[in-house]
Amino acid sequence: MFKPLAALTALVAALTLTGCASAEQEANPLPTESVEQKDSLVLYSGRSEDLIQPLIDMFTAETGIKVEVRYAGSAELAAQILEEGENSPADVFLSQDAGALGAVAKATLFEFVPTETLAKVDRIYSDLEGYWVGVSGRARILTYDPAKVTELPTSVFDLAEPKWKGRIAIAPTNASFQAFVTAMRVLEGNEVTSLWLSAMKENAVIFEKNGAILDAVDAGQVDAGLINHYYWHAKAKEVGAENMKAQLSAFAPGDLGNLVNVAGAGIVNDNSASRAFMDFLLSTSAQTYFAEQTAEYPLIPGISIIPGLTPLSEVKSPDIDLSNLDTLGETLELIRAAGLL
Amino acid sequence: MRKPPALIALLGVFASLAALVPLGYLLFRLGAGADAALTELLRPRTLELLLNTTLLVVSVTATALVIGFLQAWLTTRTNLGFGAVFAVLSTLPLAIPSYVLAFSFTASFPWFSGFWASWLVMSLATSPYVFLAVSAALVRTDSSSEEVARTLGLSKWQVLVRVTWPQVRPAAAAASLLVALYTLSEFGAVAILRFDTFTRAIYNAYRLSFDRTAAAALAVVLVLLTLLVIWFERRYRGDYQVTRPASQKRVRILLGKTKPLAALGLLLVAFAGVGVPLYSLANWSIIGSSTADVSEIFEALVGSVTLAAVAGVVITVFAVAIALWVVRYPTGLGRMVDYSVWANHALPAIVVALALVFLGANLTPWLYQTTALLVLAYLILFLPNALGTMATPIAQVPKSLEDVANSLGVKGNRSIFKVVLPIAAPGILAGAALVSLTVLKELPATLLLRPTGTETLALRLWMATEELAFSQAAPYALLLVILGGLPALALNTQARKALSEVGN
Repeated sequence: MFKPLAALTALVAALTLTGCASAEQEANPLPTESVEQKDSLVLYSGRSEDLIQPLIDMFTAETGIKVEVRYAGSAELAAQILEEGENSPADVFLSQDAGALGAVAKATLFEFVPTETLAKVDRIYSDLEGYWVGVSGRARILTYDPAKVTELPTSVFDLAEPKWKGRIAIAPTNASFQAFVTAMRVLEGNEVTSLWLSAMKENAVIFEKNGAILDAVDAGQVDAGLINHYYWHAKAKEVGAENMKAQLSAFAPGDLGNLVNVAGAGIVNDNSASRAFMDFLLSTSAQTYFAEQTAEYPLIPGISIIPGLTPLSEVKSPDIDLSNLDTLGETLELIRAAGLL
Repeated sequence: MRKPPALIALLGVFASLAALVPLGYLLFRLGAGADAALTELLRPRTLELLLNTTLLVVSVTATALVIGFLQAWLTTRTNLGFGAVFAVLSTLPLAIPSYVLAFSFTASFPWFSGFWASWLVMSLATSPYVFLAVSAALVRTDSSSEEVARTLGLSKWQVLVRVTWPQVRPAAAAASLLVALYTLSEFGAVAILRFDTFTRAIYNAYRLSFDRTAAAALAVVLVLLTLLVIWFERRYRGDYQVTRPASQKRVRILLGKTKPLAALGLLLVAFAGVGVPLYSLANWSIIGSSTADVSEIFEALVGSVTLAAVAGVVITVFAVAIALWVVRYPTGLGRMVDYSVWANHALPAIVVALALVFLGANLTPWLYQTTALLVLAYLILFLPNALGTMATPIAQVPKSLEDVANSLGVKGNRSIFKVVLPIAAPGILAGAALVSLTVLKELPATLLLRPTGTETLALRLWMATEELAFSQAAPYALLLVILGGLPALALNTQARKALSEVGN
């Protein structure tokens, strides 16, 4: 479905703005009343059916818009949209991580998110150019076995010390880990990052996924691991928090180890239904749902987070575009060079 | 040289063209970024991947061959006893997706990872291919030449190596080819067990850097490796030995003192390949609190069975046509069709799936995300599995029987339906069952190509494990094993029947 009008608008917007290229003004889609009106929606969801389906039902009850959802991994769906190109049947892509959104944005297969939707979320949690918007946040965190770790590290750089040899688990193929390494490169430089990665090559036990790390720590197999905070809450929900050996510990306030990543969404085909859905994702009811169901950070103001979670305002997040694939490429190079990938 | 009937040629050429879709797609991607592709290939890492992959493929193929052959020989030709039980146990790992097998091992033994872990899991997962093919071949051939060899003074071991082995060699070679290519294309298990192969690197190129050119470059290397493996198999397969259908009294070899040892060996393999995953699944159901919805289970069950049945029938029809073409009407074109169908069998499913996404969304939108396109993907992915299992039984039907039928008034090619297919039927059924089983377990292509809303057991299992909802995952995994066990059971019952009919 190639839409000449939308493409033309984007082109005109791009041309007029090249001179005074302020990123904020680039996000300048059609006014709502002039987009195609639709009463059904195709959603590609990289987040699970268990989590998303109740939200969809809420959305349909509220707006009368029917939603057809394809559930799969975020990276697979991004690859699928890239292959589908202009002919993608998807209206909205909801992704588990920023990298997959960045891949679609780079291929310019997203339409701009309406400015008023973007404005609901702090800029640092969305695409700088306005191709996608952050929907929920998750913090990097240390999970540890209290029986084996008595002296908790205050910085993620402490983990480079020899006393952590064989005791710390990481998942270098995981998108959140890579985003964290990117942040380290931006804030501390490539040299420091390379040193840290080499230390990890010495110290770390490698896993494929965050979930596997948590399982290993919980089983007493590894002393500690770097994961996203909500994995712990998901497992606690499954087996009962009282049965969890693994505990969580944030690093000192402001430490890079507490980096916040986002899950987000972008518009593949711009129409009234996809705009309504984007707005719904950032509504009070949807944001409360994310906060309660997955223990994630809501990204609009005024929603309470679950007890025990460090407030978002106290977590240092570098002002960088975590979905930028060129940056990601450099990060992958460093991780590879350290022999971790 | 006889010309193949039009229908056979038509089916063969269609399958061949379908098989060329992923290859064409890869070349297109390479063309879009030749420089980047070359850079990717010239990394030292590519060589490391090549070594890792070769090491795994060679070791797994050899191990699966030994395990599968011994299982088949022990259950069909010796007085071991409990043949039916051991036969089912030998087939059952086929029903367990290899990523579930890998996962159950890491869950039970947390230190389990790396080369040896991948070697063990892949060998367990693939030895049923050899077992099925070799036991089918053993049931079809009679044991008279073995008896003759025994009376001429050869030891049991010498008979095994010099008489029995040559009879099953083509079947064993075809199965080994399947094993080798399965190992080349495997992603889930090696990723969980953290062993770096080409396929893992291809997935990472898609999933981490969204770099389709690098993925294509690595995939092309994989295709070249595949061609090498196929050439190797064709060269060392040996000739099909046309045998009389087993009609004489069958003498079982007495194992004597080695009997407990043999039984113990089979039990150990069964324990690792079936016991560990079942134990793990049972554990999942106990530790978790999440529950699977009964109507969702039912929906997934219906989806899986339907897809497996439809794909099973379609693929069988194509495979029989191509096998007949190659065996009965050997022409140059037939050989090319055969090669092209095999050429992309080692490609990871995600490459084939993305090729069809590209084709479907942009050229045939009316086919995109329909069952038809999904079945086409299964055809491309699994036709070789069917061919590998069916070619031997079809080739072993004596040409003379067809001539007899012709002389008795059966006209021309009708003898195929009257004579060849009925005699080869058990082998064809085995191939069909094998393919349906493989479709049942398939994940990446199903994920990308299914009609929106279609659910399968494998999809549900994957979704549940992604969410760490293990007790929710358990019923899906269990159903997959049971569903996969049924055809396995049927196959073995049939083989048993054939055995008892010829006496013991």
